[in-house]
Amino acid sequence: MQTNIVISIAKKEIMDNIRNKWIILVSVMFALLTLAVSYFGSLGSTGWQDLGNTISGMTQLASILISIVALMLGYAAIIGEIERGSMSALLSLATTRFEITIGKLLGLGAVLCLTIFIGFGVAGLVIGLNVPNVDFVEYLVFIGVTMVFGLVFLSVALFFSTVFSKRSTALGGAIFLWFLFNIILPIVLVGLLAMTIDFSSILVEETLVIPDWYHVLDLLNPISVYSNLIEMTVGPVQSSIDASLIENPSWYTPGRLLGVLFAWIIVFFVFAVWRFHQKDI
Amino acid sequence: MATQLVKCSRCKTIITIAGKPGDKLNLTCPQCNQKGIFTFPKEESIHPVSVPGNTETIEVHNLTKTYNDFTAVNNISFRVKKGEIFGFLGPNGAGKTTTIKAMLDLLHADNGTVHLNGIDVRKHGKEAKKHVGYLPEKVAFYDNLTALQNLEFYAEIKHVSKDECAPLINEFGLADAGKKRVGKFSKGMVQRLGMARAILGNPPILILDEPSGGLDPRGVVLIRDKILEMKKKGTTIFVSSHILSEIQEICDRVGIINKGILVAQDTVDGLRKKLSLKPQLTVTVDTLTSKIENAVKKIPGVDRVAAQHNTLEIVCDGAIKAKVILAITNAGGTIQNLQTKEPTLEEVFMRYTEG
Repeated sequence: MQTNIVISIAKKEIMDNIRNKWIILVSVMFALLTLAVSYFGSLGSTGWQDLGNTISGMTQLASILISIVALMLGYAAIIGEIERGSMSALLSLATTRFEITIGKLLGLGAVLCLTIFIGFGVAGLVIGLNVPNVDFVEYLVFIGVTMVFGLVFLSVALFFSTVFSKRSTALGGAIFLWFLFNIILPIVLVGLLAMTIDFSSILVEETLVIPDWYHVLDLLNPISVYSNLIEMTVGPVQSSIDASLIENPSWYTPGRLLGVLFAWIIVFFVFAVWRFHQKDI
Repeated sequence: MATQLVKCSRCKTIITIAGKPGDKLNLTCPQCNQKGIFTFPKEESIHPVSVPGNTETIEVHNLTKTYNDFTAVNNISFRVKKGEIFGFLGPNGAGKTTTIKAMLDLLHADNGTVHLNGIDVRKHGKEAKKHVGYLPEKVAFYDNLTALQNLEFYAEIKHVSKDECAPLINEFGLADAGKKRVGKFSKGMVQRLGMARAILGNPPILILDEPSGGLDPRGVVLIRDKILEMKKKGTTIFVSSHILSEIQEICDRVGIINKGILVAQDTVDGLRKKLSLKPQLTVTVDTLTSKIENAVKKIPGVDRVAAQHNTLEIVCDGAIKAKVILAITNAGGTIQNLQTKEPTLEEVFMRYTEG
């Protein structure tokens, strides 16, 4: 692998996305939503909430938004170029499919991280100016974990971009994936839980003792992993189910959950490279 | 012993060094004294098949590509010599673009080998493609970037100085559009920029798939002149085109592919001879009589005679032209005009691709 080729491809992706104003638009959207959640988000309270409360309110919204933004950013990365015709020119040069895939992951990843950093960063600064005793470290952890979470979906989108032979099908696949992780998987898991256990017998001291298999399966959903990781590193997350009622198993540690997110990135990147290698251009 | 150009990481000065495969050299930049180490690639990483005296720059052997039950390219083989322009012709869907894509390993061929400058593309694609400039049939760029930014990106990948990009854009008549987003370019402008990208860095091999596609007549001339200019520099050019007159004008040899099979390859003259295609004489006389017409028809070697007003259209061997003139004169005709039309590449093409 030639790192200068990878850097050139990554730089091109960044330049391309800066010039189409994608970064600006999405950053502004993130900033406005964060500010809105901080100002209007808490029921029974008025005005600015501190960053801890903002993160608590933002996590679920961020998981929904970041996943769709990452999927939209990456779903056409490979197939879009193949369909348009620019991939054949790029592959006719002394480049490898591995270099192109990693260059795209790094470039689009940088675009996504920059967007998250600018969007949430600007909002954090505004909140910080309006609220006393702000814990910026906690907020930076939130931004960092959100970036890793975004990269998971980017890697998955990149894989999807190599699986399908049409951009439109890849878009359909990305949308399905979003529904899968945001809606279908959680419903299926709760359904399985409801079918297999007796809720009345497990309600002990206002804490739901969830069987281990549920937590193992929950690791298959990066959105759950992200929420749990935020909860363990920053604090409780506002969601449809009161998080404080669910007790995480002792083997859930921030390091392991972060490892799971990185594993998602690596596994789907490897799949993307493998599939791209098989593809006729 | 091989030579290699290396660029100083600090001052970007280009230094020429020599060494054997696997050699590790300690270098000092003569301009800025920056120190560095360069390792020559090991010999086993590249397997050139060329031997001294072997001048084939493109060698395609038994190339086959199938899609399920459909064979798009069927066991084709050809060679293109250094500095030669090889025209690749065929009807739509004959397998031209598939062949080109397989030559560049964009498609995974089922069988066969392709060597570019002696390097096996399927085994050492990255190394082989360093020698190639390619103009795809569907030329595309990054629409949000300007023409200059696009070319500079490809220059980076090709390890070519970015300083070459702006003059190249000017050469292709895009000077005013260099800072314009490619997304706003017309099809012809994109095609010109595509050609500029292909020749960026003066590669020894050019593979051009429909280079005149979407161009106006001025653009067609520009591209044709550029192809001839590259040939003069010793570039080997493989060109696929639908414009047969253009191919006839610039190509040293042609290959004709039909239904995935390479049905012919030779010079245009050679193909004419193989098909026994004869030239057509158009003779205008003062008064055309049946006696003149019959006298011509009786000459051995005359295939067809058609009379119209005072003109005879005669398809015959080129060698019996004098006999035809003599027969017309002896039959009382006075020749006012005589033209010879050699069979065109179009006729050759039609014969090879019919049915």
